[in-house]
Amino acid sequence: MLNGAEKQDSSSEGDALWDAFESEAMPHAPGLFRVALWLTRDHTTAEDLLQETLTEALSSFHRFAPGTNCRAWLVSIMYHRHSKRRWESRRLHLVSDAEERIAETIPFEPPTPQNVTDEEVLSALDRLPRAFQEVVILADIEELSYKEIAAATKVPLGTVMSRISRGRKLLRSQLAEYARAHGFERFSRARVKAVEEGE
Amino acid sequence: MKIVHMECEQVRQLADSYLSDELIVETNHQIISHLEHCADCRRELAARRELRTRLREAFTNASENQIRPEFLSRLSEQLRDQALGRRIDSARSADGLRLFHGQRRIALLALAACLVLAIGIALIIVWQRTSLFTHPGPQEIGQKGSTPDNSAPGSGVPVNLVKTELARSAVGDHRDCAIHFRLEEKPIDLEVAGHKYDPVYINLAKAVLPEGKSPLDVEVVEAHSCIFEGRRFAHIVLKYRGRLVSLLVTEGVPEVTPPTTSQSQVIACSQFDGYQVSCFQTARHAIFVVSDLPEGENLGLARAVAPSVYAHITRIESGV
Repeated sequence: MLNGAEKQDSSSEGDALWDAFESEAMPHAPGLFRVALWLTRDHTTAEDLLQETLTEALSSFHRFAPGTNCRAWLVSIMYHRHSKRRWESRRLHLVSDAEERIAETIPFEPPTPQNVTDEEVLSALDRLPRAFQEVVILADIEELSYKEIAAATKVPLGTVMSRISRGRKLLRSQLAEYARAHGFERFSRARVKAVEEGE
Repeated sequence: MKIVHMECEQVRQLADSYLSDELIVETNHQIISHLEHCADCRRELAARRELRTRLREAFTNASENQIRPEFLSRLSEQLRDQALGRRIDSARSADGLRLFHGQRRIALLALAACLVLAIGIALIIVWQRTSLFTHPGPQEIGQKGSTPDNSAPGSGVPVNLVKTELARSAVGDHRDCAIHFRLEEKPIDLEVAGHKYDPVYINLAKAVLPEGKSPLDVEVVEAHSCIFEGRRFAHIVLKYRGRLVSLLVTEGVPEVTPPTTSQSQVIACSQFDGYQVSCFQTARHAIFVVSDLPEGENLGLARAVAPSVYAHITRIESGV
């Protein structure tokens, strides 16, 4: 039988593990869910993936180095789990040559548009090729470093950097195009209204 | 430190990495120095920063991207139990007691049930194989839709093939690869495997469904080469009547079985682990069609694709 002191020790071990995990890892759950949702495109599957990820993270939490980026560590585990569930070659959309060419043939980079709406930004993100979406989401939304993205996605660092650069550029170009078209419409409507009001 | 001045174009190329703090100190200084006297670039950087913030907020706050609070709460509780469960288990282990945490108990019960099931299946398989090879009869080797010619031993029907470890491996590959995606080794492209391992893999997918001559309403879902328990297969995953069907080709056939030579001799059927297996063979290859379709449909599909597959493989085997 365990004596009282041993019971207390193991109890405080479990409590300490949970306290550390709760404060370090659990705050990242909403962000991880977004990544899971992007990976799986399905709410139920994303919840399953998040559950697997956090369960695995808890059981190997002793390997997490305090002071390093816990979110990046968790995203790595999630990608590993996802890869095990569905081989990347089957489920992830590979960047086709055509998509690479699209990003290559942006003629010039217009100034970044301002005053765009949330819907416009999300719509532009949605239109990016999937491999570019991935790195833009991980870098600019989930705030992982280039190296952390390369480690999590198992994509060479140079490719990650190239995709991030192209993805951001394509995003801005799409928004600029949208702003030009809709800006003109807004201007026209405003002008008609002004004329009608006799200004 | 001497600062090399940058042009606007260079600054704009590096602006995103600058905002992400991914540049080395010297480059950061060069950009800062440029920004001090370039209002246009300052505006551009501010706009990019603003866009990034907008993107982050829009994506993070989008209603469809929100985690369900009740799910998060339940998950949190479960993880907490896991953390404390580990403590309880280790304490009990130290105590020499056999008490289990609820989930662990269920897992162990499931494991025990699986073991009993596995032992049962193994006994059945041993019994089947013993009785088959000593007293092969139509009920054991044939199937409802096959003609007597198809199932008669010695007529070219792959009697032995259908009951071999090869067939068992084919079923395992269908189950673990096509259905559950859980092979240990990642599959590789079929054409690449064809050049590397076995030339019959090259253009095999086209042979399964020759252009314009699709035998039934069959669709090729995927074509790759994968390994199950050390054996390499060409694996064509088909979709037929809403079910996944595997056509698997592997090198090596039992020596005692003469190759089939025509469509009428193509098929022997069996069932392993709930999957239907139809098979035929060439001089050096065994070909399996595996699915959970009813027997007749699996056999019908195998018969439909067999002629072109057989012709393709034998042509390459004979070096034509």
